[in-house]
Order: sequence, then C-alpha cells, then structure tokens
Amino acid sequence: MKPGLERFQAYRNVFASGIDQLSQIPDPDDLALLQIDFFKLALKHADRMIDAIENDKPIVSEWYGNACEIYAAMGLTHFCPVDLIIATQPFFDTLDRMHEGNTPADSCGLIQLAVDGVRRGIVPVPTVICGMLEPCDAQSLMHEAWETVPGWENIPSIALDPPYGSTDEDFQYFADELKREIAFLEEHTGAKMDYGELKRICDEMNRLYAAWDDCNHALMQKPCPMHSLQAAEFGWSAALHINWPGDTEATAFFEKMAEVAANRVEKGIGAVPDERIRILWADLNGSWAQGAIGPWLEETYGAVIVNSFAGRTPYTPVDTSCVDSMLFGLARRGINEVPMIRQARGDVGLFLDDVRAMSNDYQIDCVFFPGHKGHKDQGGNIGYLRELCRDMEMPLFSFTSDIFDPFYLPVDQLQHKIAEFFAAQGWKPLK
Amino acid sequence: MSRGIEDSKIYQYLASLTHDPESSAIVEYKTTGGKVIGCLYNQVPDELITAAGMLAYRPRAVGSQGDELAEVRFTQVNCSLVRNFYDSAKRGRFDFMDGLVVANSCDHVRKLYENWKDAIGLPYGYLICFPKRNGDAQVDELAKRLKVFKRDFENHFSVEIDDASLRAAIELHNKIRLQQQELSELRALPEPKLTGSQFMNVMIAGTCMQRDKYSELLSDLIEECKEAPGISSGRARVIIYGGEIDEVGLLEAIESQGALIVGDSLGSFGTRAFDYQVSTEGDLLHNLAKALLQDRQGEPRIYGTREGRSERVKQIMEDCKAQGVIQVHIPICDLWSYERMMFDVFADNNSLPCLDLDTEYVFAAAGQTKTRVQAFVETLTEGGR
Repeated sequence: MKPGLERFQAYRNVFASGIDQLSQIPDPDDLALLQIDFFKLALKHADRMIDAIENDKPIVSEWYGNACEIYAAMGLTHFCPVDLIIATQPFFDTLDRMHEGNTPADSCGLIQLAVDGVRRGIVPVPTVICGMLEPCDAQSLMHEAWETVPGWENIPSIALDPPYGSTDEDFQYFADELKREIAFLEEHTGAKMDYGELKRICDEMNRLYAAWDDCNHALMQKPCPMHSLQAAEFGWSAALHINWPGDTEATAFFEKMAEVAANRVEKGIGAVPDERIRILWADLNGSWAQGAIGPWLEETYGAVIVNSFAGRTPYTPVDTSCVDSMLFGLARRGINEVPMIRQARGDVGLFLDDVRAMSNDYQIDCVFFPGHKGHKDQGGNIGYLRELCRDMEMPLFSFTSDIFDPFYLPVDQLQHKIAEFFAAQGWKPLK
Repeated sequence: MSRGIEDSKIYQYLASLTHDPESSAIVEYKTTGGKVIGCLYNQVPDELITAAGMLAYRPRAVGSQGDELAEVRFTQVNCSLVRNFYDSAKRGRFDFMDGLVVANSCDHVRKLYENWKDAIGLPYGYLICFPKRNGDAQVDELAKRLKVFKRDFENHFSVEIDDASLRAAIELHNKIRLQQQELSELRALPEPKLTGSQFMNVMIAGTCMQRDKYSELLSDLIEECKEAPGISSGRARVIIYGGEIDEVGLLEAIESQGALIVGDSLGSFGTRAFDYQVSTEGDLLHNLAKALLQDRQGEPRIYGTREGRSERVKQIMEDCKAQGVIQVHIPICDLWSYERMMFDVFADNNSLPCLDLDTEYVFAAAGQTKTRVQAFVETLTEGGR
C-alpha cells in the first residue's frame, strides 16, 4: 500500500462514521447538523487525497501560511502533514508511538508528531514540499528532518522566508516569496497558475472569512451560542486546513455557522444553559483542550471557552483587482493574520493586541494562557501578558502544557489547577 | 595533560578578560570615552560597529549566580541561556553597554531582546531581521535591512559610517579571522600547541576588547604558540559541535578526562566565527550580507543547510584527525535539539563516534559530564575496544 493511503482511508472512515452516527439522531439540533456539514468537508478532503495517492497525481505538502489559494488555483491537491496527524491522532496510537521515538521531548508536540509520523510512513509522500519557516524555530528543522527519511530525501522543496515586521514592505517581501513559490510549483509539478481562477478563489475566500467574522460577532454575545472552542475549531480547520480554497460548499458551511450562531443569540440560547464564566484561550486550541476540558468546564462551572487565537478573524479582504494586489493580500494574510503565525512571528504587539481586543469584544471574565512548550516566544511574553491583564483587571490563569500532547500535563492535574484558580476568584462549581 | 600556552603572558592577559561580563579591557576602553555595543550573535555584522569607532562586544552572562530575576519575564519553556542573560542584565551586569544589537537568531533570543529593552531598558536597541534561508533574494533583502540599521545607528550615535571606514573595519576583521584560523590550526596539530579550552578563551577575548589591539596580541600569541611545546598527553582527539556555547569550564571538564579538543564547529567562539572572508570590493553592505548568509558555515537557523552542516563537521574531524565528536546542547533549544537528532543519524551512517552532552548555560554538572566523557574516551581508545 502506498504511504499515507492507510491513514487517509482511516481518516475518511472516521468522518464517514461520524456522519452516519449523527444522522441517526432522531431530532438533531442545529449544532449537530453543523457538525455533520463539517464532517462532510473533512470527508471531501480525504477523498481528494485518496484519489491523488491512488492515481499518482501531484501532491503538495503545504503549510497554512503559504497561501493555499495558490495550490487550488493551480489545480494541485494539497495537504498539511502536521494537520493530518493532529486530526487523526485521537483515533490511533500516534502519540504513544511518538513517545517511543527519539524526537526531542523539549520541542513542540506537533513538530514531534510530524517528524515521527513521516518517519513511520503514515504520511503520503508528496511530489513537492512548500514549507514555512514560521512561526517557530522548529519549523525549519522539521522540514530538514523529513529530508532524512527514506523516500523523502530528494523531494523538491521550497520554504518561504518570513520577515519580522508588519509593514507593507514586509508584506511585499513575502508576496515576492509567493511568486517564487508559484515558479517553483510550475517547474516541479507541471501545473500552471491560472490567475483568473486565483481571483475567483480569493473572492470566494473573502466571502468565507466575512461569514466567519459574522459568526464571531455572535460569539461575542451573552450567552455564548456555541460550545467551548467549537467555532474556533470549525473555522481553523475548515478555512485553513481541510478546505479546497474556493470551494463554495465551504463558504456555505461558514454562512450556516454564522446563521446558527445568530439565531441562537436572537433566541437567547446558550451552549451552556447557565453560563457563568467566559474564558479566552490565548493560543491555538491544540488537540485536546476542546474535548478534554471544554465539556468539564461547561458542566462543572458553567464556564465556556468562548474563543481562542485559532478562531480570531482579523482577515483583511484580499484585493482581487490585479495579480500583484492579490499576492500582496495573500502575503499579508499568510504572515500577519492567520493564527499562531500572527501572534508568534514578530514582536509582542499583535499578541497583546489580540488578548486585549478579544477580552473586550467577547466579554471575557478570565484569560487562560496554556504556556505551550513549543511556543518559546510566548514564554517570553508572559511578563507582558501579566502586565496587560493587571491593567485590564483581568484574571489570568497561566500554566505550562503541550497543547498537542495531553501526556505533558495530564487533564486531571489541569482540572485541579483550574479549580484552584477559580476558587481564588470566588467562582464555585455549579453543584 | 600538559599546559599548552598557559604560561604565556599574552594568553594569561587574554584569558583574564573572559571571567566577567565587563573585562578590564572594557573598563579601560570606557575611560577613554569608548562606546560598547553588545551584539547577539554572529548574525550581527561586527564590522559596522567597528567602523563606527565603537567596540562590538559579545555579551556573556559569565559568573551568573542564578536566573531568579528572569522568572517574572520568562517561563520554564525558555532556555537557561536567556534566563541567565536576563537575570544578569537586570542586576546591572551589562550596564556598561551603550547599546544592544540583536538578530532574531532564535525565538528565545528575540524575546530576550524585547524584554531587555522594555522591562530593563537599553540606551540603544535594534533588532536586525535575519533571513531564515540563504538564497540570493535573501542576501539582497538582508543588505537592505543592514542599510536601514546602519542609518538608524548613525542617527542615534551621531556618527557616520562611510565606505572608507567600513572597508577598513572589514579588512581588520578579515585579518583577525585569518589569525584565528591560523591559531585554530595550531590546536589541530598532531601535538597541539594549545588546548580547546585555551582556544575558546582566546576567541572570547576577541569579543570584549578593541579589535586592533586584539589583532596585535593575536599575532604575537601565534608566534609564541608555534614555539611552544606540543601537547602529547591527550588520550583521544575530539571536536565539539553546538551553538552559542561560551562556557570554558565545560571544555576544561571535557579535556580533564583526556579528550583533547582539537577542533570545533561552534558559533561566536568557534570556527563559525572565522571561517569566511568578506569582500572589500563593490557594495560593502551587500558583501556583508552575502558573507553572513552564504559564505559562513551553515547553522540550523538557516533552512537548507543541513547536509552542508553535517559534511562540514565530518570535514573538520578529518582535518583535525579527531576520533570523535561531542555534541553540546543547551536544553529547550529547538534548533539544536533537532540538529542533534539529525546529526546522530549522520554520525551513525558515517561511523563517526559521537557523544551527546546536555548542559545548562551555567555549567554545574561537572561530575556527570566528566563521567560521560571518560566513558566516551574509553570507547575511542585502545582500552575501550
């Protein structure tokens, strides 16, 4: 069997059975229906990949900051190896196997998983690799580590160099990197860039991001209409990872999500019946927070994690009037707007802006800072974050974890710490 | 192990400069009105600082007694290097510096700079965005960024760095690099003229005193070295490989077990600081950018240099007739954690004996290190076979 095929088939089966199970619910509520639509998008992604693997079609290994719109406009099947492993690891022994390997334990669990996964052959061998050198130091080394894996040694690769700043000059530099990426793809895959299609895709993505932003405006209301990190997870995955950019069904999904959230707000329906505490999760969701502590917070404290950096929508519409403006807009999005890269790449400014703005916009009661061990930069932000929260009179719960590896900080220990933190604020369990 | 150049007055003077952040040479220099600019790390072109008539100084938190004061600005996911640096800065141990220029050489260091600037304060601070790839486009971009930095620096200090002064500075630094190369070769002789730890002391001294004076002393030291008796007491010849390792005590601990350090691939205080030359023809800023990005030995920070890095270490081993390589790594460093993992594979594939050593920035595990090195030496020598 070709490398990666088994994992994508399993991936497909997970989502297909999820759809089956949810479809059998006699009277599914609006959130369950939304979940079904999300699974359908994931299923499409799996089917595309299975087709490409089985039929030897060119496959791009991508990174979400590299403007995946470009791959779609060139008709190139693309996937993010990191996301594949993260999305499927709850259903396999991926984490256990990773711990048996020798990837550096002091680095990000996501990077460890990605290196280990490629070594163990669970990732499709791509035709080309479009790597990203942000947000962290380990990104570059992850790509280099892949090159040492048999079968991956001679895959043509390009990694786009990110600037540090957030000026138009910086965005233009990265737009030039995107041009180099296009030339690289044309050379190594035989595919041609279709700028007419890129314009259509960018227009469609502008609509998608606008709908996501509408949904977020609903999340800002009390009570929060969706469950902990739910919208952030849907949005992060469906916009940036499993989506074929320009897919109108993806846009429809986001419009549906916004509509569901708005309807619930209108009717005063919260995901948590008795909402007491609204939490900002100041990082990506990671792989376990939503499932492992989200329901516990809601049931035990009436606390809901309203949003995270993954769900933030600072997206500026891409100007599709000409090729240069599109590439400029995609560059700005890739290095300055998509989550994690936005907060981690440059100085502390955007990180603090996001915490401040989200705390205000979402009527937040406290900030959770998960201190992800892969985010060395954010470790150096802690002093700034404390000062900001003190200024805002915002309780801050800071801990150290690996947001992609629940073994690093066991869930029961985290729950205990949260309980202590809540008690210190005078917040008691519902029962 | 014999003493190498330990009795040399020049060496003793140079070594004496390495014990505190503020060396006697710096104190003396400051009394003449000289300005000291901290530069972290090799990605910052020292030549520009020299051309401005100032001292390009490589900060070290040598003698740090702890990192307690860093606790409020960093977490446990930050490495001991930046924590000790911050603690020392907060205690005023770098207050003699007139400015700090940093490249975003890693996530920790860029946050060290930011916290230093905002929470402690700097008379002058600048961060140079250093590319993570080394293509021609990146050289052009870095040259542009160096131009912006140069203008900012000139404005702040009311100095002019003209082409003539920059060319002279490049020539001086080129000369020093050649001298350091020559000295390095003397530690690689069959009977080396100096130990690895002595060599590191000399390298460190070069970053905390005026370069023209350093070059003069280096010239004399090289001549003394050539006349010095060779060291014949080492049990095994090794090289060390790692990042910004500046702890002479670690090297002394390694060598105390009979592992003579005859070469290295280290950052600011090893071969990666001097294994290149900068052209003095044409656009000098572009030349500096090209030298820093393309002509130096690669580092894990620069994507696409993996194969070259490993091959270079192998080449150094062959050139130095070393029997093994010791990888030194400060934990919680993504760059060097993965480099170690990959180099271990390379070493296996190429039958290069390799020891992986973890050390915190402040070297405190001498006993453990010695035990591990001793065992490694056994495997490299007849008795271990």
